[in-house]
Amino acid sequence: MNTSADNRGAEYEVLSPWADADPVPLRGITPRPADLAGKTIGLFSNRKRAALLTLGAVETELLEKFPATKTSWYECSTINTPEMLTEGKAKFEAWVAGVDAVVLSVAD
Amino acid sequence: MTDGRSAASNKGMPMVRIVQETVPCECNLKDEADAGIRSAMAQIIDALTKPLSPEEQAPKRKEKGTASRVAFKGQLEEFNRFFYKRGWGDGLPLLPPTEAAVREMLAGTDLPPDHVVGKVVPRQGKATVEKIAINAVMAGALPTHMPILIACTEALADPRAHLGAYGTSTGSWMPFWIVNGPVRNDALVNCSSGAMNPGNIANAAIGRTMGLIVKNIGGARKAIEDMGVYGNPGKYSCVAGENEEMSPWEPLHVEQGLAKEDSAVTLFFPNCYSQIWQYGSDDKGILNTLIYNLPPGRSGLTCLLMTPTQAKTLSQKGWTKSMVRKYVYEYGRVPAYRHPVFHDGGGWTGRSPETVSPGAMDAVAIVPSTEHIRVLVLGGPGAFMGLACGGGLPGGAFVTKKISLPSGWGKLVAKYKNLVPTYERY
Repeated sequence: MNTSADNRGAEYEVLSPWADADPVPLRGITPRPADLAGKTIGLFSNRKRAALLTLGAVETELLEKFPATKTSWYECSTINTPEMLTEGKAKFEAWVAGVDAVVLSVAD
Repeated sequence: MTDGRSAASNKGMPMVRIVQETVPCECNLKDEADAGIRSAMAQIIDALTKPLSPEEQAPKRKEKGTASRVAFKGQLEEFNRFFYKRGWGDGLPLLPPTEAAVREMLAGTDLPPDHVVGKVVPRQGKATVEKIAINAVMAGALPTHMPILIACTEALADPRAHLGAYGTSTGSWMPFWIVNGPVRNDALVNCSSGAMNPGNIANAAIGRTMGLIVKNIGGARKAIEDMGVYGNPGKYSCVAGENEEMSPWEPLHVEQGLAKEDSAVTLFFPNCYSQIWQYGSDDKGILNTLIYNLPPGRSGLTCLLMTPTQAKTLSQKGWTKSMVRKYVYEYGRVPAYRHPVFHDGGGWTGRSPETVSPGAMDAVAIVPSTEHIRVLVLGGPGAFMGLACGGGLPGGAFVTKKISLPSGWGKLVAKYKNLVPTYERY
């Protein structure tokens, strides 16, 4: 293709490089409890270095502010993989069913 | 935070509540983690208890539906600025992907334009043959590169390549594309002196196309989803062919299970590529160069780069590729105090409470296994060796895809075979 200055007046109709993607069904987030007192808060670790420390700090703060609150920990079974796609799926679903809300630390 | 938002959207939950705290990345200091969380705790509690807004209950799609096939009409400079501002470029000038140019690119495949080669993460963009061709035109690739680009895209979409992690990681991993088989010569891929240098259309444009595909099909954009801390110039292009004609050993694609007469591309994601002056011209000098220079902090897929001369020296002493891999695994060790396992339990896989910490002077293998090592023969005369060191995500592997050539391949090759630089002597 001639890209010289003489060709600068030429017009090009160009195709889009941006790919289509199948639309993912959208879901709303889970309704929140009005108060954390007496609730069970899930703490999900993605096994990155800071996960245990940051979630541990969240746990400490939660228990200080809401002494009647319980926590329940879950550690992902495979790094960088959605838990629902791993062999831990059933265990994960059972864990989710037993908590009122979840904090996940990205920990990156 | 932008990457977290994109990741949530890709999973269909764009309104996930994200709280940004001030804990340093990869923090291992309890005091700092405590302080960072304490200062964000009010927001965390708010995120856990605040009633949902209407959009959080029923989120609306932000991205428009199917994009218009024609993106722009204008002059060369206007087109370049438009694409750059849309985030579809890589900073260098692009060639306009006109209908005619894309049609010419499609001469490099028998697949129909709407054939989906794969879905590319993180966005799960559909890599149709036409989208690959459009990005190839933009990058300056030739139709003879199309079969390679299609195989490269298949490799990107293979979960074992871990593009979702390496393509967006703070670690700034670069895709290293290794081309094997007869297609190297047909597509004029440099395998010899300066194989990793700029200067050959194939080595430059194949990597550049794949960089654009990662962005425009996979949706991994710099500092939006690709959170590489430093970035990596290798993301422009890191492509080389194996110098099979000068190698005494079976080529990489044969090690990977294909036939010698096949053509193939192999992908893995190193984040560094270093060159080391060889310690001696005998087999021990060559092998010790490699084992003394393995970076203890990497512990992942490792490609040993050596010249045909070095490979021949080893071969004459009875070494095979497999023996070299075993030697480097066995002797590539450091005292534990120089290895991450001594400090943090060994990375992703070694943090269980049952992990036994080694003593400071215990010898620890740098590369996890012989399967994590491959040997690549390339380059020209000279006494340097190379190490391309990748990550060690579980299930990760060197991913090799066979290249399918279209009908009329010979004619296509003949059309472009003289497109080679002729350097004036001075």
